[in-house]
Amino acid sequence: MNVRAFAAAVLVAALAVAAVGATGASGGKTADTLTVWLQVDAQSGWPEVVAAANAQFKAQNPGWDVDVQYQTWNTHLSKFDATLAGNSAPDVIEMGNTEMTKYMAAGAFQDLTANTFPNKSTWLAGLAKSGQYGGKIYGVPYYAGSRVITYRTDLFRAVNGKIPTSVAEFSALARKLGAKNKEKSFSPVYIAGTDWYFAMSFVYDYGGTIAVTNKGKWIGTLDRPKAVAGLTAFKRFYDAASRASKTTDEVRPNPYDVYAQGNAASIQGPAWFSCCVGDFKNRTAQFVMPSRTKGQPIPGFLGGSDLAVPIGANKAQAAAWISAFTDNASMTALRAKGNIPNTTSLLGTSVNERAAKRSWFVPTAKHWVNVENGNVLRTMLSRILTNKMSVKDAAEVASDNITFTLNQR
Amino acid sequence: MTVAAETPVHRSRRRRSRLRQWTRASVPYLLILPAIAVITAILGYPLYKLVVLSFQQYGLPELIQRTGVWIGFDNYASVLRDDVFWDTLLRTVIFTVATVGLTIGLGTLIAFLLTRVSSWVRVLLTAGLVLAWSMPAVVAVQVWFWMTNLQNGILNHVLTEAGVGDFAQHDWYETSFSKLAMVSLLIVWDAIPFVTITVYAGLAQVPRELVEAAEIDGAGSLRIFRDVTYPILKPIFLILTSLSIIWDFGVFTQPYLLIGASQVDPSNYLMGVYVFIEAFGQSDFGRGAAISLLMLLIVAILSVFYVRRMVKMGDVR
Repeated sequence: MNVRAFAAAVLVAALAVAAVGATGASGGKTADTLTVWLQVDAQSGWPEVVAAANAQFKAQNPGWDVDVQYQTWNTHLSKFDATLAGNSAPDVIEMGNTEMTKYMAAGAFQDLTANTFPNKSTWLAGLAKSGQYGGKIYGVPYYAGSRVITYRTDLFRAVNGKIPTSVAEFSALARKLGAKNKEKSFSPVYIAGTDWYFAMSFVYDYGGTIAVTNKGKWIGTLDRPKAVAGLTAFKRFYDAASRASKTTDEVRPNPYDVYAQGNAASIQGPAWFSCCVGDFKNRTAQFVMPSRTKGQPIPGFLGGSDLAVPIGANKAQAAAWISAFTDNASMTALRAKGNIPNTTSLLGTSVNERAAKRSWFVPTAKHWVNVENGNVLRTMLSRILTNKMSVKDAAEVASDNITFTLNQR
Repeated sequence: MTVAAETPVHRSRRRRSRLRQWTRASVPYLLILPAIAVITAILGYPLYKLVVLSFQQYGLPELIQRTGVWIGFDNYASVLRDDVFWDTLLRTVIFTVATVGLTIGLGTLIAFLLTRVSSWVRVLLTAGLVLAWSMPAVVAVQVWFWMTNLQNGILNHVLTEAGVGDFAQHDWYETSFSKLAMVSLLIVWDAIPFVTITVYAGLAQVPRELVEAAEIDGAGSLRIFRDVTYPILKPIFLILTSLSIIWDFGVFTQPYLLIGASQVDPSNYLMGVYVFIEAFGQSDFGRGAAISLLMLLIVAILSVFYVRRMVKMGDVR
């Protein structure tokens, strides 16, 4: 074959491959193996709770094995979609409470209304609601968590810093910490630039909202004066407190890694971040992020997870595993790790639970998760922090985008 | 010999020879038949499904029910009316031109370097190239990001220590341009070995005496490259360029992972990332299929130019 013909043939083949692409579906069900998708949070935070649940499940279901596959928040939904298409969805999947609505509306989960679960009558109301759609239960509450400040007691003491009771006090303290620790990579309060959960807390603290409904239509509201004031306050606080990248998120790097490396006097995030502070274990404590109003906590994002059973899964075994994973022993262990348990019967007064007193939640729209996947809020924040746009302009762009996305068919 | 004069013996012999000719001519086709069958099965069928999908409303509910709703050209119409599509297309074309240009240019220069160095340097260099080539893209992204990240990246440290300037806390991923520039550099680094090794192999075919004759006639290196080396290597350059275009135009792994799932947005989409977000991020698989077929069309048009050039070009041997 001459060079031309060969080259033409290679080109045609390459084109065809380029068009078809490749989508690989992992997971897959084999008989007698229960496939469970949990987030990596469980892997780094409470692997022994998972192991205990597996052991309990295997004891109660002889001949069954459990395959726990850890997922990351950014990619688990597209992987889940692929397994739905390939008929190889997991038997149990952990879903973020903001992600549930879209999938329940699309019919991706099995109805668990008739099943019994531990503490079903005392489930945390807010979290349980995220697993219900059209009067049916599709998600079992797993745990909730509010975000708190994890800090170095030694560094705070070195500047005579008391636990701040307002944002203004915290900013002043951050400046003092910054003056004392001149290392350029050192953050008095490490906050990833595009951590929208934290930024939206300022929006709600100033009385703003992300979106509201009016006559069945969603309207983005970040460009309204109160929300803009909140975003401006966020920028002010960030500039005073954080030396993190203005364009990165809160997993790259993990804030607790920055902290463990000694590059932060404090970090903002889930209470279980105290798991991974390395050598600073004895010099670490936590407090509730204060509001602009003295003495109040800032409204925090009440994050949480539900456990759902996708269609096509082994429902009986899946429900049995979920029961084992959410029983009193598991919940007590999760609470000890700094999480809010799924039942009011175990609630106490930990820092996490105090922070949860004022909280906000994302708009409960079917398409909300598309706003998250489209990185609308993160893009807005990096534009604001890098001064590429004014707060008002960036908020307007984001708000229009949210209105458009939430009202799609 | 006329037909009327043919004897039966003649006729049968001729028929037999014709049969033999036919058999001989069909052998190559019979031999590639299994390959064609396999290619049709593994590429043709998915391609057919993709075309069908692009004419359907196919979101998450349809995925679960496994039944799409036929909506004709609606997906195509909505994509072609979308500003994001056109912005992304333009950005991807610029990105592709820059990346392919750098890859071919630097790769060729290194290939020439290989012909000039001593044999042990050549072995070292080739080994390095093959190692770079064999590095999986995902691993390369992790290492690259680790070296260039703001918090404790070694690049900022080295630049600051070397006195280039104060690069402490410099964010190499701050703007859309800088994000894509980092992606481009990573892809160029990854793609150079293929170009270098191919061009280097091609250079071995350039007759030594032609180059020497040109040198004696007083031609400089640039002139020799333009008038002697390049014409001989032209088919190689054409295939390298068109393959690089196809790869870089649809690249996904590097931009998606290096920019990061939480930072890809319409201001830094490349086509590969755009189609992924539309199809999988937004769960609109029909629209995603339409975009990927439009991508195929665009790359095909770009490539037709090269294929025609290749076909027109005389046989080099």
